[in-house]
Amino acid sequence: MSLQLLFDALALGGIYAVAALGIALIFGVMRLVNFAHGQFIACAVFALILPSTDALAVLGLGALPAPILIPLMLAFGAGLAVAAEALVFRPMRNASPVALMVGSFALGVALQNLLLVLYGGRPKAVSLWAELGHPVQIGSASVPLLQLIVIVAVGVILVGLALMLRKTRIGLEMRAAAEDFTMARMLGVRSNRVISVAFALSGALAAVVALVLVAQTGVADVRMGGQIMLVAFIATVVGGMGSLSGAVAAGLAIGAASALLQAGLPAEVRPFRDAFLYGGVILVLLFRPQGLFAPVGAKPRV
Amino acid sequence: MAKLGVHDLAVRYGKLTAISDLSFTVAEGERVFVSGPNGAGKSSLLSAIAGAIRAAHGRIEMDGEILSGLGPEAIARRGLSMVPEGRRVFPGLTVLENLSVGTGLRRDRGAVTDDLETVFTAFPILRERARSQAGALSGGQQQMLAIARALMTNPKVMLVDEPSLGLAPKVVDEVYDRLCQLQALRGLTLVIVEQSSARAARVGGRMLLMRGGRIVADGDATDFAAKDLLTEAYFGGAA
Repeated sequence: MSLQLLFDALALGGIYAVAALGIALIFGVMRLVNFAHGQFIACAVFALILPSTDALAVLGLGALPAPILIPLMLAFGAGLAVAAEALVFRPMRNASPVALMVGSFALGVALQNLLLVLYGGRPKAVSLWAELGHPVQIGSASVPLLQLIVIVAVGVILVGLALMLRKTRIGLEMRAAAEDFTMARMLGVRSNRVISVAFALSGALAAVVALVLVAQTGVADVRMGGQIMLVAFIATVVGGMGSLSGAVAAGLAIGAASALLQAGLPAEVRPFRDAFLYGGVILVLLFRPQGLFAPVGAKPRV
Repeated sequence: MAKLGVHDLAVRYGKLTAISDLSFTVAEGERVFVSGPNGAGKSSLLSAIAGAIRAAHGRIEMDGEILSGLGPEAIARRGLSMVPEGRRVFPGLTVLENLSVGTGLRRDRGAVTDDLETVFTAFPILRERARSQAGALSGGQQQMLAIARALMTNPKVMLVDEPSLGLAPKVVDEVYDRLCQLQALRGLTLVIVEQSSARAARVGGRMLLMRGGRIVADGDATDFAAKDLLTEAYFGGAA
């Protein structure tokens, strides 16, 4: 039972952590809270199926075998985010931070409406990697294979990202830009390159979240983006805006708390799980308004 | 041809004018101090040259190439490096990482190791603390790191904004010693903001005196103490 709970907590928290990272990465270099991130996830979800307003989804990209599908989806997410940066955020680079944030809202609404036009508003059943739902026996726990894959994948992503930030030239430039963007530029760091790479990574992470969401829930819903965006945004705030490790830790914590509450609350109060969860968030912020891991000098511009 | 030329420069923050009608040139290898009271526009001048803030008007050139209008990264890539006010080291990066940020623009990757050796020789404390986070260094050490970091871009012109700010006099002596040493070694052209004209006179070089966003005097730093130009700049001339 408790082992089962651990896997639930890790899988849910892992997804929240990856979603929160997507927001924290861009906030880190641009001090922009990208409220379109949830719609990047939704777009990646719908990229799996063919455009139609029918209730039953027909797999498009999603029908490809995983070794081809996964890189394609990552590229789709990265491409979408880079294009959004070039078309929306770059022309606004010198605009006020508030304008930038409103711009990200506008982009999110535009993307959501694009999805509504192409796919209609009804949630669609999507069967992606249904065979991964089979349970695997680990000790006393019976864990869906998908959950194990998600946990491993999240671990690989976190380690990979950490290595990239620590060991590569672009990683160094991103960390320098996150601490003091103008100073980094005065040392020859190209702002466009750093920002594009941050968006590409963020978009690829959005695609990962999309794949996992669809595989886990079997549903494609235009509203999915907003829901996960809310949790991810809360995780970045709780973690401390601009702190990548903070976003990961808070994402994991919120997922874990959610799974624990789900299992631990008496049945009659279980529908109010999220009230307990966000009550906890408020408590944390009362005592640490700057978040758990607020880095020095990373105050939001908004 | 002048190494660095500033012509009719104007810098404004909204309606506030920080610099107007400012012109001067700097010869190759020269050391120029910029002095004057708070709010004279000294830091704005350096920031405008480095491209960190956009000039409202005027032309800035280095080696005859126009820099005004370029972004700070493009200016850095042309060989102009900045040691900004307040040092602005990257606190969460190690000393070594701080030094590496500026080497990405270089094509002469082989010389990077030699330059690292040069700055480590000039500032041995940086070698000792190479793996420490820059935020954990003392103010003087951070100033040395900021200078070393600028040098690692292999600049031709280096702008240094108030290297003495908040440092003990003895540390300031050391910073200037090293700075002059490195200038001689590398044939650098230096523009240094320095509040203390006495300090500038002791180190030696040319001095520009600024007040109200303009240059009000230009001469050898040692002459400034004798003439009353400084009092005039600070307290306003008799006129």
